Amino acid sequence: MMELDRVSVAFGEALALREASLRIEAGARLGIVGESGCGKSMLGLCLMGMVPDAAVVSGAIRLNGRDLAGASEAVWRRHRARDVAMIFQEPMAALNPLSRIGDTVMEPLLVHEGLSRAEARDRAIALFEEVGIPEPAARLRQYPHEISGGQRQRVLIALALTCNPGLLVADEPTTALDANVALRIIELLVRLSETRNMALVFISHDLAAVARATQTIAVMYGGDVVERGPTAQVLSAPRHPYTIGLLGARPGLGDRGRGADGRRRRLVTIPGNVPPLFDLPAGCRFSGRCSQEIAQCAGTRPVAHVLDGGQEASCHLLAPAAPGRAGAVT
Amino acid sequence: MPRLPVNLIIGAVLVSLVVGVAALSLVWTPHDHVAMNVRGRFQGPSDLYWLGTDQLGRDVVSQLMVAARNSMTVALVAVLIGGSIGVVLGLFASAVGGWVEDLVMRIADIGFAFPALLFAIMLSAVFGPSLTIAVAAIAFINIPVFARVSRASANQIWTREYVAAARAAGQGKLAISRDHILPNIAAPVIVQATIEFAVAILAEAALSYLGLGAQPPSPSWGRMLSEAQTLMFMAPQLAIYPGLCIVLAVLGFSLLGDGLRDITDPRLSRSRRA
Repeated sequence: MMELDRVSVAFGEALALREASLRIEAGARLGIVGESGCGKSMLGLCLMGMVPDAAVVSGAIRLNGRDLAGASEAVWRRHRARDVAMIFQEPMAALNPLSRIGDTVMEPLLVHEGLSRAEARDRAIALFEEVGIPEPAARLRQYPHEISGGQRQRVLIALALTCNPGLLVADEPTTALDANVALRIIELLVRLSETRNMALVFISHDLAAVARATQTIAVMYGGDVVERGPTAQVLSAPRHPYTIGLLGARPGLGDRGRGADGRRRRLVTIPGNVPPLFDLPAGCRFSGRCSQEIAQCAGTRPVAHVLDGGQEASCHLLAPAAPGRAGAVT
Repeated sequence: MPRLPVNLIIGAVLVSLVVGVAALSLVWTPHDHVAMNVRGRFQGPSDLYWLGTDQLGRDVVSQLMVAARNSMTVALVAVLIGGSIGVVLGLFASAVGGWVEDLVMRIADIGFAFPALLFAIMLSAVFGPSLTIAVAAIAFINIPVFARVSRASANQIWTREYVAAARAAGQGKLAISRDHILPNIAAPVIVQATIEFAVAILAEAALSYLGLGAQPPSPSWGRMLSEAQTLMFMAPQLAIYPGLCIVLAVLGFSLLGDGLRDITDPRLSRSRRA
């Protein structure tokens, strides 16, 4: 239903997103993972037409076949809430502290759907029930500071659902919540996606959350989509060195910090930091930090190699003629 | 309950006093403020005339009370008009951004360059002196002040996540400005309005002193001051009373504005800085 076709977002010389391509099918759930500053939030903003004014967007952003890249704010507004909606990381910051919750949620119903106040109220109550907010009628009159973080995120989900969007972009929806509440929110998002046949783009750096929430996954690094495929397959058999490093950097609960030989295991880290956007290597963005770097990595951008089971990874080591196969090394 | 700043308390007391007296003058004054009594000129304070009478035998207290009302009305109308236009311009500039924002703010800068009194004198020269012209001039010089304050505050609010959430929910910039930006910039705008109220009182007094504000027989602190000037050595109290009123009113609103700023935005507080 929505497709990004080689979309780049440039701030002057710096590329926040480099020819990123994604397809989101109706009702499908896609996860986007990566470190801070890898471009995953920018990708979410591309889907909403909310890229900052200072940025230059190139490529095609197709919504139901129509290219909206470069479309005006007025055009995008017609699609926001109805076709694509978004929820945010900080449920406290994403609600106007001076507005009653009911007024915030009813606003799009009054404006976009042209409902009367009584109808909008009924719809808001129904939405609150759908997202699992207890005593919905009482909540409508409350202010954001009066309810908990998890409830606020539910309010924001209800707000995003007001106009029955076909796609919900969730930008780190669980990062600011404690683990138990986060789990409930993920369950809610999955259930809503299934019952409403609503596509979900779940942006997170929490691999466990993405594993629970999504069917397919895209791993991003330095503005590139470096690996993609079915979530379970990518997380169990990663092929791109960056994905391998990312998964290796997770503290395991099951092994109690001990390796296969029973000795205490040091947590593996990826050496170095993500370079600033204006200082990324021209070829593979991961070159310079990659442990398996070969000659062409820094200068030549790797193409996406299609692997078994619909998995794809952009790495020179996966080329048929490459000296060592990345997957084989680990 | 945190302790209220001292300037807020003193300011609030002075402002209540001035506003209370102005309101009282609507229904009651000790004497008719325009009633002359030529035989009873330059009386000292007495049970009948609490602060005495002026050069035409009019009751000074009654005149000061009505003058307070006139002064408050002028300041209120001028700040309301100038403030509303300024806030709308500031919100508009902030919402549209880009060159439109630059243009509006540069025009505001030009507005700042006009000395308020000279501008009022110019208007009076063109249209003839009247209270309406004084109000218009004071309102006009308030526009860029409020445009600047509201635009700066609005720009901050535009970066908040709830504004992004409202955009994601399909709200337009106009609706966002009204529903989300305006309520959240109310605090700095109200603080500015209180301070500008003090400036407006002073400006009205100055214009009336120059004969460009309230016209006789409508009393005004500024005009009472200028009329008393020639009688300085005969009846200095006639200059002291209105002067004191101006000082107390301006001081009251200034302190109230500072106090409100202290409690609404502690970062800008002068009194609490260590």
